[in-house]
Amino acid sequence: MKRSLTLVLVMLLALSLVLTACGPKASQEPGTSTGDETTSQGPKVLRFAIGSEPPALDQQIATDTYAIMLGNHLYEGLVRVQDGKVVPGMAESWEISEDGLTYTFHLRDAKWSDGQPVKAQDFEYAIKRLLNPATASEYAFQGYYIENGEAYNKNKITDPDQVGIKALDDKTLEIKLAVPTKYFLALTNFISLFPVRQDFVEAQGTAYAAEADKILYNGPFIMTEWKHEESLTLEKNPNYWNKDAIKIDRVEIAIVTDSNTAMGMYEAGDLDFVGLPAARVQEFVDNGQAKFYYDGSEFYFQFNVKGRNPEVGKFIGNANFRKAFAYAIDRQNYVDAVLKNGSDPATRYVLPLLSGVNDLFANEYPLEFYPKNADPAKAKEYLDKALAEIGTTIDKVPAIEYLTDDSDSARISAEAIQDMIAKNLGIKLEVKQVPFKQRLELMNKGEYDLVFAGWGPDYDDPMTYLDL
Amino acid sequence: MVRYIGKRFVISLITIWILATLTFFLIRLLPGDPFTSEKITPEIKANMMKYYGLDKPLPVQYATYMGNLLKGDMGYSLRYKNREVNNIIADAFPASADLGLRSLVFSVILGLILGIVAALNHNKFWDYACMVIAVIGVSVPSFVVGSLIQYLFGIKWKLLPVAQWKSFAHTIMPTFALGLGTLALIARLMRTSMLEVVGQDYIKTAKAKGLSPAQVTIKHQIRNAILPVVTVLGPLVASLLTGTFVIEQIFAIPGLGRHYVVSIQNLDYTMVMGLTIFFGAFLVLMNFLVDIAYGLVDPRIRVGK
Repeated sequence: MKRSLTLVLVMLLALSLVLTACGPKASQEPGTSTGDETTSQGPKVLRFAIGSEPPALDQQIATDTYAIMLGNHLYEGLVRVQDGKVVPGMAESWEISEDGLTYTFHLRDAKWSDGQPVKAQDFEYAIKRLLNPATASEYAFQGYYIENGEAYNKNKITDPDQVGIKALDDKTLEIKLAVPTKYFLALTNFISLFPVRQDFVEAQGTAYAAEADKILYNGPFIMTEWKHEESLTLEKNPNYWNKDAIKIDRVEIAIVTDSNTAMGMYEAGDLDFVGLPAARVQEFVDNGQAKFYYDGSEFYFQFNVKGRNPEVGKFIGNANFRKAFAYAIDRQNYVDAVLKNGSDPATRYVLPLLSGVNDLFANEYPLEFYPKNADPAKAKEYLDKALAEIGTTIDKVPAIEYLTDDSDSARISAEAIQDMIAKNLGIKLEVKQVPFKQRLELMNKGEYDLVFAGWGPDYDDPMTYLDL
Repeated sequence: MVRYIGKRFVISLITIWILATLTFFLIRLLPGDPFTSEKITPEIKANMMKYYGLDKPLPVQYATYMGNLLKGDMGYSLRYKNREVNNIIADAFPASADLGLRSLVFSVILGLILGIVAALNHNKFWDYACMVIAVIGVSVPSFVVGSLIQYLFGIKWKLLPVAQWKSFAHTIMPTFALGLGTLALIARLMRTSMLEVVGQDYIKTAKAKGLSPAQVTIKHQIRNAILPVVTVLGPLVASLLTGTFVIEQIFAIPGLGRHYVVSIQNLDYTMVMGLTIFFGAFLVLMNFLVDIAYGLVDPRIRVGK
């Protein structure tokens, strides 16, 4: 949460907003009937692929995209968020105190997959488990909004009963926040805050959630089979409180790392939808089979205002110098010519599709901070201003290190950016490609000038980007 | 023989211990740590380090690891939380071994046949035909073969399933793609070896004894020529059976191959250790079996005599 106040100030330059392309089942293909059409007989099955095994499905341990996606189908938190609106989940209703600090949730009659009722105590246990330092949860910070949550997780207090969450009875849960947090309600839809049942978790010990039968479910689906690195099978949960709203009987998820393989399976009729590999997007757009949706990922430049060394820091520390970069990048060109996957150019850091206080954030803060296309004249103007302020000339600008991942796509990206900066500013970027973990390490240590980074949102509030 | 096996066993253990020790320290020299991530705070990272015992001094960690290893416990994966390295390997190895064994049978049988046919028809049509197949097999990488047959047989003609590991039909393409290179290697090796042996005195003797050409070929030529093939078989079995990254990825096979790469990318220390030790032990075992097999094939180098 407080990371953004570390020794380096970061200046962000939003670069692109990724759209994930998605091909619907090719309905005109003859003879590829797969039994999942909306006919009245037979179970309705949905088949798709995910790119990797979810490393953990334990509610308080999970952090990755697929686990969060699966978690929303297998489990349920106090509320759900649908189309940006908070709707009841395990909680039927709730009251928020006038000072915005105390939330009282009234739980509905819901059951775990073993038939036992979901109780307020299950939430209390789960959140204390999340915050317990001994659980070693990476996402424990999602519980820091709760009174004393941070102190407990950081070993400053040792008594979990001081944490501001309490089951008043089986059906009533009281949560006290550290400070009023408007988006806390929506955040209870996040996997880290989902309930778990103490007796079950303790009986499983460290093997909890390692296999399909070592999990208790309270969501629309239960997982009936988890073949590690191979597939997951979800079936409609007969105990789910809102089961009549669930139209699909079974979901078959294949784990397929290679996007071209997944594409092949889709073309052979083994999958109902697939994420399109970049090379195939245009073809599917042309024949009208592609559907686009925002996945919220964005990529941006992060400047280290101190630079790797004071010499570079002198330049990057200058706001006008950074603005020159912002205007030298052609975002439209970048998404069209480099990404080629249907992404939109990002003209702001907090993406417009997120919720604001009462409306979409974009409507509350209409802002196009950066132009879609490069503005070389303006870039030059800012550069000249910066050089005057620093008291130097363009030929004295040192090579600036551009830190990025070691993938092929990162290299192609880097070359495009390098080219834009050289052409529009006459400044040389030195590309440094390192493995992902090493990039994060260098970022944490402040050993970089400029880094190409990305983030996907965890929950529907600007904070998910702002606390990076 | 028993003494020989005993000695080899001790050497094997020392080899694996050195391997494990080197890997233990080398993997920690890589920059970064297993829990580095965008949003992690120092306190949370400290909690995680403590949970996995990574906050202790390196020699203590090493001693703990080795102590647990002796008990057969390779610890928990740092990435696949809640799953033990032992279980992950036990889950993934069967698919890899299954695929590897199929490829091995396919490539050894066909490779030997091709090599023998080629040698017996030296410089004739069948020789060239076999060697063209062998050259293609050696020079075209498995991922090209894999992608190509996947496209043709799976997507275009819809004769075989595109990917995944479910039925016999699912195994055909990956077996072929993985085995082709090995097949070519064995065919070439066998051919060369056959041609070398044919000029040896003992072949002349056998012929002079009045044995039929078939007897000469089977009893003397092939039996002697097969030695180099047996030699490469050890490491080959080990590498085929313990998983391949590319073929498993193309055909979405839930084997060990992926773990080799992913565990290093994620700095999943325990997983890297587990895989290294597993692969190392397997390789040592295979080489050992090959040494024993030598003796069966060639009485001249029967050990312990």
